[in-house]
Amino acid sequence: MTERLPWLRPIVALVLSALFFVPLYLVPANVFKPGDQISASPASPPWPPTLDNITAVLSRPDNLFWVSLANSVIVTAVSVVVLTVLSAMLGHYLARSRSPWATALTLVLLAGLMIPPQVILIPVTEVLKATELMATVPGLVLFNVGYYVPFGVFVFTGFIRGIPIELEEAAFLDGARRTQVFWRVVFPLLRPASASVLIFLGVWIWNDFINPLVILGPGRGTTVTTGVYRSIGQYQTDFGSVFALMFLATLPVLVFYLALQKHFVKGLTGGATKG
Amino acid sequence: MTTHTELPAGRAPTAPGGGRTTGTPPARRRRRGAIRDRLAHFGIFAAPGVLTYACFVVAPIVLSVYYSLTNANPFRPPRRWVGLDNYTALVQDPEFLTALRVTTILTLIVVIVPNVGGLLVALLLDKRGRFYNAMRSVFFTPVILSSVVVSVIWTRLLDVDGPLNRALRALGVDDPPAWLSDPDFALYSVASIISWQMIGFCVVVYLAGLQGVPVELQEAAALDGAGPVRRFRAVTWPLLAPALTINTVVLLISAFKTYDYIKVITNGGPGAGTTATIAFNVLQTGLDGNHVGYASAMAVLMLVIVGVATAVALKILRGREVDL
Repeated sequence: MTERLPWLRPIVALVLSALFFVPLYLVPANVFKPGDQISASPASPPWPPTLDNITAVLSRPDNLFWVSLANSVIVTAVSVVVLTVLSAMLGHYLARSRSPWATALTLVLLAGLMIPPQVILIPVTEVLKATELMATVPGLVLFNVGYYVPFGVFVFTGFIRGIPIELEEAAFLDGARRTQVFWRVVFPLLRPASASVLIFLGVWIWNDFINPLVILGPGRGTTVTTGVYRSIGQYQTDFGSVFALMFLATLPVLVFYLALQKHFVKGLTGGATKG
Repeated sequence: MTTHTELPAGRAPTAPGGGRTTGTPPARRRRRGAIRDRLAHFGIFAAPGVLTYACFVVAPIVLSVYYSLTNANPFRPPRRWVGLDNYTALVQDPEFLTALRVTTILTLIVVIVPNVGGLLVALLLDKRGRFYNAMRSVFFTPVILSSVVVSVIWTRLLDVDGPLNRALRALGVDDPPAWLSDPDFALYSVASIISWQMIGFCVVVYLAGLQGVPVELQEAAALDGAGPVRRFRAVTWPLLAPALTINTVVLLISAFKTYDYIKVITNGGPGAGTTATIAFNVLQTGLDGNHVGYASAMAVLMLVIVGVATAVALKILRGREVDL
């Protein structure tokens, strides 16, 4: 089908996305600008550019950036790897089981997809205090695993139901043990689902704000997001530092996204087309 | 490696003369082995995930329900059973009713605006080529940003003296509003910020849905004389039903638990809780104010509302979905 005004569509698209992009432009514009100019002219291009804000954040005496970065990297990496393994195995168990108990368990787990963290966070702090894991990185990781396992199960059960069971049965009849069948035959087949789970949970956990805020607490270290939050309280006027911190906190996720863009879209849209 | 050598042992050959062997009957032994095998299967594959979920999601929900029936307050022990008192107090509490209203308005905006905007942008970008791919990336970028980062950017942008108001003044608006510190605007400003961040998500989901609309159907409709609007209503829109379901449910659940933006941008204000959502009040009351019992009642009501709303939305939206 031909369009009557073929030039109209790209122009509208360009104008619209340029308008949409304006808020994002504020970050690079203000990161490379001397701090005193930020309030005076927030939207002007950073010319001549300066790295002062970035070096100031990197060399803060309290190491806010480095501590936050280390915490975020550890929490995200460990949570995501554990979640992928646990939810792949659990998803496989549930997808292949024919017992009504497994169906009920699947429903209970999927209900977890809609539970807001606020509903559980207060008792979770009690559970963590009782096990002396409150305000520790392992405590936050454990909570992440419990809270995000429904998403992993959701992705993996859906995916596993689409692979024929015959492959596993053949391996099983050849005498392989169940764990061997899973790791050698099934898990390699799950690569697209594992990619979705790794990518989505990686971005979500990296960006999480409320969970690290409540569980790691104000005293014991920050992640990159709670670090940014803390810096706006401290430096109400020094927006140079705040923007530099946000820039550095976002950079890893942005690089990750640009490198894996296709998988992002694929993972998001798996359900939209199947229905 | 085969298991053939193990099979005879497990099968326990029948004794000569057809008599039963002494000791454990083979059938029961086999059944016991099967149960042990199933337990081991559950223990290795399912238990780790199920147990962490039970400890950090199920048990806390049970605890929340229990706390909501008490006057729990860590600084005022002992904990006393108060029955439904927290709930009856809640439904008369103007602060809670305001939060309910704020949450409803916010959720409605955040479900509708990115859905409509995302659909329009998806229709605009539904073309092949590098140019349109790049445009898609622009719209999707905010989705991967942290809500804290988005909040800080927009706080600067919408500042009384920020870039937006400077631009408005340059355009001749003498007295542009204080977007985030005027009680009449703050809630709508926050809702717009969240909508801006979520629109890219809807764009991507709708674009995938549009790819599932067969070109032949469009062409057949065109041959029958249907104009673009008619084609959209009769062919495209019904086939986008699964995409609408996903977007609506995801937006509903995420809008209902809005906390980060409120905490960073307005801290519940300006004025008396003009932007304080239920999710925000639960943590303020429970963790900062230590009224754990009262906050838990709020949390339980919140869970009930989001559960019912999601179930209703799913029921209605799934009913519209058609198979090709």
